[in-house]
Amino acid sequence: MKNIPLKLRWLLIGSVGCLLTGCGDQPASVAPPAGAGRQFGVSFQTMNNPFFVDLNEGLKKSIEAHGDRLTTLDAQFNSLKQKNDISDLIQQQPAAIFINPVNWEGIKGSLLEAKRKNIPVIIVDAPVSDPDLVLCQVASDNVEAGRLACEALAQIKPNARIVILHLSVNKACIDRVDGFKAELARHPGMKVLDVQEGKGTTEAARPVMRDLLGRFPDLDAAFPINDPSALGCISAIESAGKLGQVTVVTVDGSREGAAAIVSGKLHSTSAQYPGEIGRVAAEKAYDHLAGKPVAKDVKIPVKLVTKANASEFLK
Amino acid sequence: MTSAFKSIRSGLPLLLAIAVLMGLFRIWVPQFLGAENLLDLAQQISVNAILAYGMTLVILIGGIDLSVGAVVALVGTVTVAGLAHHGVALGICAGFAMATLFGIINGVCAAGTRMPPFIITLATMLVARGVALRFNDGRPLAVPDAERFFLGLGNARLFGFLPVPVLLMLAAFTVTAVLLHRTRWGQHLYAIGGNREAARFTGIPLARNEVLVYVLCALLAGLAGMIHASQLYSAEPAAGQGFELNAIAAVVVGGTSFTGGIGSVRGTLIGAIVIGVLDKGLNQAGVHFSLQYIVKGLVILAAVYLDVRRRKQ
Repeated sequence: MKNIPLKLRWLLIGSVGCLLTGCGDQPASVAPPAGAGRQFGVSFQTMNNPFFVDLNEGLKKSIEAHGDRLTTLDAQFNSLKQKNDISDLIQQQPAAIFINPVNWEGIKGSLLEAKRKNIPVIIVDAPVSDPDLVLCQVASDNVEAGRLACEALAQIKPNARIVILHLSVNKACIDRVDGFKAELARHPGMKVLDVQEGKGTTEAARPVMRDLLGRFPDLDAAFPINDPSALGCISAIESAGKLGQVTVVTVDGSREGAAAIVSGKLHSTSAQYPGEIGRVAAEKAYDHLAGKPVAKDVKIPVKLVTKANASEFLK
Repeated sequence: MTSAFKSIRSGLPLLLAIAVLMGLFRIWVPQFLGAENLLDLAQQISVNAILAYGMTLVILIGGIDLSVGAVVALVGTVTVAGLAHHGVALGICAGFAMATLFGIINGVCAAGTRMPPFIITLATMLVARGVALRFNDGRPLAVPDAERFFLGLGNARLFGFLPVPVLLMLAAFTVTAVLLHRTRWGQHLYAIGGNREAARFTGIPLARNEVLVYVLCALLAGLAGMIHASQLYSAEPAAGQGFELNAIAAVVVGGTSFTGGIGSVRGTLIGAIVIGVLDKGLNQAGVHFSLQYIVKGLVILAAVYLDVRRRKQ
């Protein structure tokens, strides 16, 4: 008992106690004055996709132009991390938060928490299942994006045998596939052979596409739901030696996607405007803070990119 | 008596580390030490801490369980699918039954064969993940709003103050700590982790103890899975990826030796708090997410290095 560093223990107890009481001399949290240096936060499902990097830039530019600041957090496709990230933001009483949900059901707890604390939430890119809990949702017109992809394919391959590489937990991707299938119904010659999970990333889509190419010898078209998974598909098609035979159409309009169109490996991508989504989302937040009414559902138009106009998306 | 003091002393550097981290974050984030923020912190670490208790037992006997993340997803999915059709009691029973099944498979393979636990649980991780993805085509299953009790597990607050997941985390802590530090069974685990052959010759029933450890670890993962599903108002078959690594990080930061035989559940709880404080502090201080990974990695490395050096003395 004598060899216990008693001093050390008191020091510890003292320092913890001091910290817990906030040491007394510093003022307790002060709400920042309106208009000057307010805090905004955004939580993305992943930052491993140029789309979200661009969206974040759009948000950040608008918010910093107002003299405010934005905290960006990456959920790494982990719903629990996203919930924790968002509650960290909410504890700091931000002016508004922007959320790009990993799981469109799973975000509900965070939305309720924000509502309790009266913090407006704006959903960007991927919709949620409880629109009543949020101020507004700003997203690409994903149904139209999927429809444009199918239309572009139908023009060159009216009898296409198609596989779809889905990301089925994500509502934006569900909408794209719905749009694709709605247009497909108007082309009786085209047929979907299979729908598989491509997870929306290059590394996950590649092996899935390889398997599909092996399974279906007559496969001659693919609809991966975004540019990263399209690049994975193309890589699989290339290594199977079927580059000229299988047509790939997708949705996104990233620089990488445009480059693949220019080099002839990708047929089309329905371009989204992530920077514009970010800018409009920030604008809606400021409208709300200024007391103006805000539309619940804001759709940002998409545009078909093919060889004819791909060069303007290379910038 | 002496052992109690020894364990206090062994936890001291980590407690100091928590105090220093909290003090630092208090400078950048004025409300960091507010009661509401600290309660939020406790709630955020609950899933990881509960997983890490079970992982502590497994690592103590010289094993490892990589399947806990997948079991989180599987148990969440089974429970939510069950409660939608047969009510909450049966749903929870089905969830724990599923966890027990995977615990038994892990334990029997580890105790009865010469296959390394790393490989066994890598395989059961894939199986559990696959079974989870069989439900609802791999899409999330929403918890019906009528399930007040189940939603309460992750979201309710006792007396309007103490979050239920924190209560469950403390209850799981008490059970695990008593089992490990106050029973003969716990002593046997230390003996097995310290020297397996010697433990066998002393007459300690290796196989039974090992199976029990893996079952307990899986049951705790099941509890974490239910809290996870409740907090997210839905079960996600794809959830929980990498949770095993976070749990292992809490265990080793908490001072449990990766080769077995040394460690405590208290250390693990402290380890989980260190990681939680880091996550929250870096988020709230507005540190860019790329830097967060670097800082977190370096802190884990430093904590484990200091611990290893202290043991050598």
